[in-house]
Amino acid sequence: MKMLFKRTLFLLLLLPITTIAQSVISGTVVDATLKQPVPGVNVIVDGTTNGTTTDFDGNYTLSGVNQGSKITFSYLGFRTQTIPFTGQGTLNVTLTEDASELDAVVVVGYGTTTKKDLTGSVALIGEDDFNKGNNVTAENLLNGRVAGLTVNTGGSPGSNSEIRIRGGASLNASNDPLIVIDGLPVSNVANGTRSIISSINPADIESFSVLKDASAAAIYGNRGANGVIIITTKKGKQGLKVSFDSQASVSRLTDKIDVFNAAEFRSLVTERFPDRLDLLGNANTDWQDAIYRDAFSSQHNLSVSGALADNLPARLSVGYADQEGLRKTSSFERTTTSLSLNPRFFEGNLKIDFNANLNFERNQFAPGIEGNALQFNPTQPIYDPNSQYGGYYEYTGANGLILGNVPRNPVAQLMQTQDIASVRRYYGNFKVDYKLPFYEPLRAVVNLGLDESTSDRFYEVDRNSALGTNAEEGETLGQRSDTDFNSSNRLFDAYLVHTKAFGDFNTEITAGYSYQIFENENFTTNNVRDPNSAPPENTISPDVVLLAYFARGNFNYQSKYFLSASIRRDGTSRFGPDERFGYFPAVSGAWQISDEDFLKDSETLSALKLRLGYGITGQQDISSQYDYLSRYGLGDSRSQYLFGDQYYTIGQPFFRNAGIKWEEITEYNAGIDYGFFNGKLSGSLDFFRKESNDLLSSAPVPDGVNFSNQGFQNIGKFTTQGVEFVIDYNVVSNDNFNWNVNYNTTYIDREINKLAFGQDILTQGISGGTGNTIQVQREGFAPNSFFVYRQLYDTAGAPIEGAYVDVNNDGILNDDDKYIAGNGRADVTMGFQSTMNYKDWDFSFNLRASFGNDIYNNVNSGNAQYGNVFRTVLNNVPTQVLETNFVNTPDVILSDYYLEDADFLRMDNITLGYTFDADKMGKGTLRLWGGVQNVFVITDYSGLDPEITNNGVDNTIFPRGRTFLFGLNYGF
Amino acid sequence: MDFNIKNMLQLRTFVLMLLLGGVFISCESDLDVTPEDDDELLADGFFENEGAYKQALAGVYANLSLTSISDPGGSNIAGLDAGTGQYIRGLFNLQNLSTDEAIWTYENDPGLRGMQRNTWSSDNPLILGVFARASYEIALANEFLRQTTTEALSGRGESEELKATIQTYRAEARVLRALANYHLLDMFGKAPSVTENDAVGFDQVPELVGVDLFNFIESELLAALPDLIAARQNEYARVDQGVANMLLAKLYLNAEVYTGTARYADCITVCETLIGSGYSLTPNYLFNFMADNNTNGAQNEIIFPISNDGTNTQNYGGTTIIIQGEVGVPENNGESLGVNATGFGGLFRVRPEFSRLFTSNPLYRNDSRNTLITADRTEEINNVGNTAEGYIITKFSNRTSTGGFGSDRTFTDTDYPLFRYADVLLMYAEATLRGGGGSTAQALGYINELRERAFGNTSGNITQSQLTLDFILDERSRELYWESHRRQDLIRFGVYSGSSYLWSYKGGPQTGTAIPQFRELFPIPNQSLSSNANLTQNAGY
Repeated sequence: MKMLFKRTLFLLLLLPITTIAQSVISGTVVDATLKQPVPGVNVIVDGTTNGTTTDFDGNYTLSGVNQGSKITFSYLGFRTQTIPFTGQGTLNVTLTEDASELDAVVVVGYGTTTKKDLTGSVALIGEDDFNKGNNVTAENLLNGRVAGLTVNTGGSPGSNSEIRIRGGASLNASNDPLIVIDGLPVSNVANGTRSIISSINPADIESFSVLKDASAAAIYGNRGANGVIIITTKKGKQGLKVSFDSQASVSRLTDKIDVFNAAEFRSLVTERFPDRLDLLGNANTDWQDAIYRDAFSSQHNLSVSGALADNLPARLSVGYADQEGLRKTSSFERTTTSLSLNPRFFEGNLKIDFNANLNFERNQFAPGIEGNALQFNPTQPIYDPNSQYGGYYEYTGANGLILGNVPRNPVAQLMQTQDIASVRRYYGNFKVDYKLPFYEPLRAVVNLGLDESTSDRFYEVDRNSALGTNAEEGETLGQRSDTDFNSSNRLFDAYLVHTKAFGDFNTEITAGYSYQIFENENFTTNNVRDPNSAPPENTISPDVVLLAYFARGNFNYQSKYFLSASIRRDGTSRFGPDERFGYFPAVSGAWQISDEDFLKDSETLSALKLRLGYGITGQQDISSQYDYLSRYGLGDSRSQYLFGDQYYTIGQPFFRNAGIKWEEITEYNAGIDYGFFNGKLSGSLDFFRKESNDLLSSAPVPDGVNFSNQGFQNIGKFTTQGVEFVIDYNVVSNDNFNWNVNYNTTYIDREINKLAFGQDILTQGISGGTGNTIQVQREGFAPNSFFVYRQLYDTAGAPIEGAYVDVNNDGILNDDDKYIAGNGRADVTMGFQSTMNYKDWDFSFNLRASFGNDIYNNVNSGNAQYGNVFRTVLNNVPTQVLETNFVNTPDVILSDYYLEDADFLRMDNITLGYTFDADKMGKGTLRLWGGVQNVFVITDYSGLDPEITNNGVDNTIFPRGRTFLFGLNYGF
Repeated sequence: MDFNIKNMLQLRTFVLMLLLGGVFISCESDLDVTPEDDDELLADGFFENEGAYKQALAGVYANLSLTSISDPGGSNIAGLDAGTGQYIRGLFNLQNLSTDEAIWTYENDPGLRGMQRNTWSSDNPLILGVFARASYEIALANEFLRQTTTEALSGRGESEELKATIQTYRAEARVLRALANYHLLDMFGKAPSVTENDAVGFDQVPELVGVDLFNFIESELLAALPDLIAARQNEYARVDQGVANMLLAKLYLNAEVYTGTARYADCITVCETLIGSGYSLTPNYLFNFMADNNTNGAQNEIIFPISNDGTNTQNYGGTTIIIQGEVGVPENNGESLGVNATGFGGLFRVRPEFSRLFTSNPLYRNDSRNTLITADRTEEINNVGNTAEGYIITKFSNRTSTGGFGSDRTFTDTDYPLFRYADVLLMYAEATLRGGGGSTAQALGYINELRERAFGNTSGNITQSQLTLDFILDERSRELYWESHRRQDLIRFGVYSGSSYLWSYKGGPQTGTAIPQFRELFPIPNQSLSSNANLTQNAGY
């Protein structure tokens, strides 16, 4: 059988399909750059079904070709060529790589298209467009590159990022875009790992498609509400290719929070707390210096691609990244292995793609000790030889034991804590794409996906640590817990694609089914050193099952008029039987105006396309997983109740919402794509409006009729409107010198139109007090607007402590006097990139800017008051207190004084490289490069960094360092 | 030949793909997920388990102490910090912090400044917490009653014996529901009118106001009484006839405030029943407030304890916050109270008007109820944020009567005495003085019983002429401070609002200022008002 199969294959590849003996043509297809044969090229006689594909050596033979007919050579990633048959016996063809943006293949949901054929708002970012520099996680390849897409990455190694497409669409449901890796939508749950995509090696990524508007994303109806980022990984290709990349970097702290130094602190205490001088020490410690370090990192990637056994295209890559964090002890270590097998059978009719990735992550998390570091008394030492707490200085009471409610030595906290998560993640997919032999226009595609991760998190605090359980009672127990987290995500997609042309009218109909199940399980020992802690516990989250039927039709006439329509019926296990299915339609169209006769010959305007789109997407990604059921929960060991002399496990009903249903986002998009001077200048302009209806939000419930006063409900509505503008300018392009610049900008305006009962929802906790909130969701305003008191100032312009405007003039200052003052989201964001090549040199940089965002400086509001200097012990405070002379935190914490303008301009990266090409090297090419990451930030914001997540509340961050990099890329 | 094989292969591939599809398609039933965790059950499955009814009943009780079913830091009430939204802590905030008995140091904690300076708005989270927590208690009791109807029990095939036991449980649930309604009546003057006959969900139920709510509570208690176990005969911490009668007594004592019609005679009748029920004062006053107050004899005095335990019943409210909050800074006297030295950093102090109840007369130096720590402290509080100003107290403790410690240094073991026999004696005396028809001699006897316990001898005894209403008000505070009675008492005595009695920070300034009468009721929280259009706001807000 195997033999037969091989023979069949052999015959298929060599023999022409038809045997009608007419003129025979043969030849070899090579690629323009490497002059290597290209196998698998489709060779088709136009307007017929007569065709073949090139063999492993790029050779083809085609018979039955009539004089005057046209032969088309096409291959993914190369420009299609059509050559008339004039009787030549041999026709060798050189395919050039597809430099044209318009012909670039764009992966969309359940299929591909070309940029030229796009009707929705989709951005394609290929490898050439990726950000350069220190990109440890995949999303950073994109940052600033796509209008409407913001990526905000923290400073910790391998850090999670807040990714938003067009500002997100939800209040309380997830605002994270859906991430799809090779057709597999990944879960939004990350445990032990730094983020849901941190385990992906950026070097394995070939391209990103960002589906921004609903007309594009609706095909992922159930999770498309916040846009979709489709990641396509690199595949195997014929022709041996080896590449090796290596880089090393060092990152340094750029700035610190200004607090008093030891000498200043002594005078401060002398002046303000003369009776507490006994609490001053003799040391001179900069606690912020003590918790940070220069952080070294390296990344290495090796990939080999080619054909195994001559006929099995494959790619194997191995990657290793080791990143230290600026905060001592924090680190991120990742080993990735990726295997891609891409065999083609039956003249390419049967395509199999198999991707398997096995990745390991080892994260050491360092506790967030910035708050303690800026508070800790600078006149006290880090180490104390007499300390029983591992030799670290700690505040102790009269009995020699540590005090409660005082800061702990931050260096000790770092050094005495081991918090290490080891994550093993396996993900991959197996895709069969089969063009049916008995009915050519039809393809059947089945995609099976699997994503499983196991993480073991080990947490230990040294026995002699002041943080240990019962340390205040003189016992030295430390802390110890182990947590295992297992999650799995399985996907089955099956769909049929019917492609047929009727003259100039081209159709493509796709219809299919998708099934996905997410399972999570979590085991924790809890703190085994604490005699009163809860016993080990296994928590099984309910399965989340998503199921969908979908259909899409793409039509075009003369490749000039495009129409695309799709519909999807989605079911989710999060909702009850009557509400769980939602319908998500989309329709979009495009008109390639520049192909019309009146513009066809224009030298100036080389491309002009109008796009219009409309679609509805759904959102069901909320933390509560089945509120529609009547459920009871059993109390754990800490939550029992005493009857007589026996503790009883308690049973309480959970909040119930039998009618919970889909949040629906309707989006309108209108855009133009333009090109001038033969594409020298090109870009796009998009207008969009999103209406989120039946918002899923935790909202008030009438008291007494349900089992909480608040729960997830479909409430309210909010709208997001915006404009996106992209311009790409090829400034210079000649043999020696190429210079390309790209600029994008986005304006977004968001407003809550309706909330349940018109009721404000207070949100966003801050530090300083227990349970304070600084933001509000209110009708008529942007989500997460700051809700504060209006500060009064004296005649000299200095703020008067605790004096606010009595907004409602009732003579009492209370919650009714708060007003809305801005929000943490930027109105306008911009990205700029410049890429230059001069001979063998390359030079690039990118800039990002953000305008209209405010930050509540919680570092100052929660600390910078003189009253904080003595709280059981002496505490340092930010020097900003010198500007306000505020004394009591309670009086000032909700003042708008602490709201700051956080506009910024940041240079993310600057890179210079030199390439030794094949001529110099003999074999292969070598590029050496160096660069700086996080080069500078220009801002008026007084805190460490104006780019924060947390809805604009700055309550100490893991600082971003400035990173100096050096690397090499070698390939042949 | 070869082509046939090729076709066969291709066909086979296609069939295989179809089959693969078939395995997965028609999985719509997979959308019906069920809980897999062993701590989470569908309602029907839950009640199939042995002992489920008692667990559900424990759930109704537990809401008076716990804030969630798993984590002391978690809460089934949203809108405020978990511990702050605990039942007893909410009660303490509204009944004690809004008066002369206590002050909270950290006014940056949301709602605290408004609460202790009597300037709260209807957005105050502490008020939201109490309204929501008490309403949640009503919802839990209703759910219990709904799940234990005769039909429901018969439907599950429960035995007659179990049905009889559950009859008692049901009566207890009704008392707990009445208790929550009583708290709403006292603090808000109204409550959502919701019983087991209403559906679970989002119905905007009508409100029950003033006399109607009073009548509902009274009728519920009277209806439950016959099904309850006799006073002191039920398991510890469970409701018995004593608890129901105590609630009736409180209701009657305050009836004039709630309805405009005095019911002092009824109060005296119920107090007499209680006095004849076998309760007794524990010889050592402070035993009532210790870690072992469920076993050290105080159980004879405490009519209704709210159970707290460092290991099994952990929460950041109740006696945990009270004891941790008593710890003074800079004294760091937590060890003597059975918690860590620094406690929670000096949360509470008492206001000078309260401490003067003990300090203004040297007699009270010997009063065992006087737990003030005054050394190195000023009696006046010039700066609320200064933990060293104002006296602190040590009434509640996580130490046991034998000098031991509670089971944990963070979470305390001390049960909160929601109702105590001493209060019955004080109520009898007060109702008598207010013309309810009791014996004044008996009243004097009861008061001196309390004084003798307090002073250890007769040195603190008073005479008939000293037994005045003003004395009762002061004595109630000396006896019952921090037991969530003060605001109610001040209102009943007519000195809470207005300017006849000013205490530090009343109305805002340190010197105190008059507060309008409408503040004798708290506002219905805006959130509750907006989610139920049938609730109306109290006058003045």
